[in-house]
Order: sequence, then C-alpha cells, then structure tokens
Amino acid sequence: MVSTNQSIITSKIIGLIFSLSLIFFDIGDSYSSIIFILVMLTIGIPHGSVDHIIAFLNPESRRFSSRFSFFSVYLALIVVNILIWIFSPFLGLFVFLLVSCYHFGETQVIGYNSTDNKLLNFVIGANILLSLFLNNIFELQTILVDFTFFSSIDLSFFEKIFFLLISVAVLMMSVVYFDIKRKVPLYAELSILYLIFYHTDILTSFSIFFGFSHSLPMLLMEYEEMKEKSFFRFYIKTLPFTLLAVVFGLVLYYFNNNILTTDNLILFVFIIISSLTLPHVFIMKDFVNDK
Amino acid sequence: MNTLNFILGASLQPGDFTGFTFFIGSVSMLAATVFFLVQHGQVDKKFKDSMLVAALITGIAAVHYYYMRDQWAEGLGSPTELRYVDWILTVPLMVVEFALLTGVGMRKLFWASVVMLVTGYFGESGVTGMLDAQTWGAISGAAYFYMAYEVGCLSIFGGPSGDVGNALASAKGKIPAAGRMLQWFVLVGWAIYPLGYMMGTDGWYTGLVAGLPLDMDIVYNIGDAINKIGFGMAVWSAARD
Repeated sequence: MVSTNQSIITSKIIGLIFSLSLIFFDIGDSYSSIIFILVMLTIGIPHGSVDHIIAFLNPESRRFSSRFSFFSVYLALIVVNILIWIFSPFLGLFVFLLVSCYHFGETQVIGYNSTDNKLLNFVIGANILLSLFLNNIFELQTILVDFTFFSSIDLSFFEKIFFLLISVAVLMMSVVYFDIKRKVPLYAELSILYLIFYHTDILTSFSIFFGFSHSLPMLLMEYEEMKEKSFFRFYIKTLPFTLLAVVFGLVLYYFNNNILTTDNLILFVFIIISSLTLPHVFIMKDFVNDK
Repeated sequence: MNTLNFILGASLQPGDFTGFTFFIGSVSMLAATVFFLVQHGQVDKKFKDSMLVAALITGIAAVHYYYMRDQWAEGLGSPTELRYVDWILTVPLMVVEFALLTGVGMRKLFWASVVMLVTGYFGESGVTGMLDAQTWGAISGAAYFYMAYEVGCLSIFGGPSGDVGNALASAKGKIPAAGRMLQWFVLVGWAIYPLGYMMGTDGWYTGLVAGLPLDMDIVYNIGDAINKIGFGMAVWSAARD
C-alpha cells in the first residue's frame, strides 16, 4: 500500500510540475496536439497495453480461463464499441462517458478511499469530466459540432468563469455527501485539476489529467504488481500492444469511408480511445479491487 | 534581469505601486507555499493535511497573482476574472481548514461557501437576469455571516457560536488560540470582499462606498496576502505544538 501511494504521489507531482510549467511559460494551445500525442504514446496507451498480463496476475479476480477467451472478449468489446459509434454516435458518446466516469473515478480515489463504493467512484469521475468539459465548453461545442442539440446552444452570454464556479460547487456538494476516508486531500487534488482545466485548452487539459493523474499512476502500479526487474523491462512489454493500438487507429482512419467522422480529427481520436477504453475498464476494475 | 524576462512577461513601469503589490502578492504567496510545504514534513501527522491545504491555498494564489501581475503590466486593467478564479478555488479550501482542525462542520461550511460564491457571482455578473445586485449581495452576505457565526466569530465578543466555533474553543493544545486568529481573519480580513462587491455594483450603498479613497486592487492584493498567508500561519502555529 505504501509503495502504491508513493507511485501515485510521484506521478501526480510530475504532472503538477509539467502543468505549472505550461501555465508559467504560457505556451498557449499551439502545442496541445504535440503534447496530446506524446502523452498518449508514452503513457496513455502503454498503461492499457499490459491488460493481457494484468488479467491473469491475480488468481482471485481472474475472469478468463485462457488467453483465447481473454482476447476474444477483449476484441469483441472493441468491435461492439465501434459499431455503436457507427450506428448511433449519441449512444457511443453516452457509453464512453458512462464507462469513463466510473473508470476515471475508480483510479482517482485510490489513496483516498477504498474503491468498493461504486457510486463514489462514478460520482468522482463524473465530476472530473464535468469540470473538464465545462471549463472548455466553447471548444467542446466545436469538437461535438455533429451533435447539434449541444453545439447549437448559445452559451455566449456566459463567461468562462461561470462554468468553473458551477464545477467547483458541484464538487463541493458531491464530496460532503460521501463517506471518504481522506476527503480533504481528494478535494484539494481535484481543485488543482480544475485550475489546470480552466487555464489550459481541452486537449492539454485532457492530456495532463489522463497522462499524469490517471495513466502514469496506473502504469507504476502495474509495474509494481508485475514485479519486473526494472521499469525499462516492464516498459518494453507495453510496446507491442501500444504499437498495435496505433496501427489500429491508423487503419480505422484509412478505411473509415465517412462512416465515422472524417473532418473532425479530435472526435475521431476520442472514438479510438473510447474503443480501447471499454475492455480496459473491466480489466482495471479487478486490478484495483484491493488497492 | 533580461534573461528572466521570458518568465516574467511584461515589465512593471517605475512608480506603478498597484503593479508592485501584484508582484509582492505573487512572490509572497510563492514563498509561503514553499514554507508550508517544508513545514509539512515537520508537523504532527494529524496536521499534515492542514499544512498541505495551506500550501495549496497560497500556491493557487501565487499562480493567479503571477497572471494578474502580467495582465496589469500589459495595461489590460484590473484582473477581475482572475481574482474570481482564485477565490472560487481558494475560499472553499480556507473553509476546509476549519473542518480539518475541528473535524466538524464541513457540510455546513461548504454549503454556505457555495451559496456565498454563486450568489455573489450572480449579483456581480448579472448573468441570471433576475433580482438586482444588492439582493444577490444580501443573500451572499447572509451566507458569509452564517459562516462567521458557525466558526465562532461572534464568540470573540461573547456572542453565540456554531458547532465549529464550539469545537475550536474546546480543542486541546494551541488549536483554540489558532482558532481565535482564524476567526479574526474571517471577521475582519474577509470583510474586504463584500466591500469590493459594493464598490463594483449598484445598490443602496452606491453613494456610501463610491467616495472611499481606495484603490480596490491594492486593498484586495494586501488583503489577500494577509488572509491567505495569515490563515496558513495560524494553522501552522497550532500544528507546531
């Protein structure tokens, strides 16, 4: 438990230093795509690239009898998710948000509370995504231009700060109504995240949260759990499926034939991420069970 | 100094006292953050969260004062929006300090600070199109006075106190003394915020506050530094015991 907490704190401090550097050096949003790609390739995707090993580590929470059954279910979930996006983008987005809320919340509460309270996990994740979206809502309207019911809402009357206020108020009300062992540190960390969400664009905000607050702690916990001799050896093991995920994204982009969105690269990337996230969430649910 | 310009951005003009207070605000908050983080390792385990929150309050303020100084130096006027961002994030954290020291009252204080911040913003921005600024201000002020009552500010003058104030008074060690300091901060230090609200909005008070010979940016900058750093110092004094 001590080393788990150390991993989490280490990765979050790295993220904080990175975020503060971005804010102080005021690089704006010109480099957000590069930051996003770098974070996704080096931390984001690798943290899910050892799912096939993680799934068989803990005998008590093992759900799969063989590698074949694991990969069958895993790939089936990816395909199902893509089909949902093709036939009903609204449902695809809804599933992605629902699953992400739970998954992000579950990993966020580690170190502050047990992950047993499923509703708490969901509410914390929902708060994070709500803040990410609200603090970048004008950008989000551009990204989700195909969802006209949302993108056509006239929000010009509201100042950006209004959305920060709403997200902080919702967080405060959420936190006080749950029995959380370390309530204040959790609230404090989320306050820092909200600060970052407010001051950076949506892609940078997501990269920082997803990379340093979610993926890197998980990556370090996976490293400890797999008991590899060195982090380098562990990291090498993440590379094959990281490359496969990139190839999967490129192939889908090449053959998408307008079924998925073609003129909105950010949305397309999020569809890929959501497809990879769906099966990963189930594996992680078992992995973090005793954390 | 030129080599640092890429960090500092726009330079302050000679004689710009307001700009100087933004600069002092930024560096003093940063210094306080470092101090509280260092002290975090020195205090008893039960006060570690309090010290971390104290560091976070001044850390968040340091970031925003850095931005505010830059905005001021570039001649973009009073940085009201950045001030509100800072307050929205730090006021709940200051409220949390009371709950951390006493272990009670977090729910009440959080609710009161939500009401205070949201209605204050509604009044100042006019975003709702309902009610006037003085009515929203009255609701926000009522929430502030409720918090002041709850944390025991009235007990300074022998008046009644809420649960948090009672818990502060009956706590062991240096907590009651630190609690008294915090109560003074809430009662006197936080009073600059409704004053600023009245100077920035129209209401029955317009004639009263308009004539005050105050530069609100200077008042806010000095008040913020005293409130935030002082708040943390009060907690640290309790934690040192």
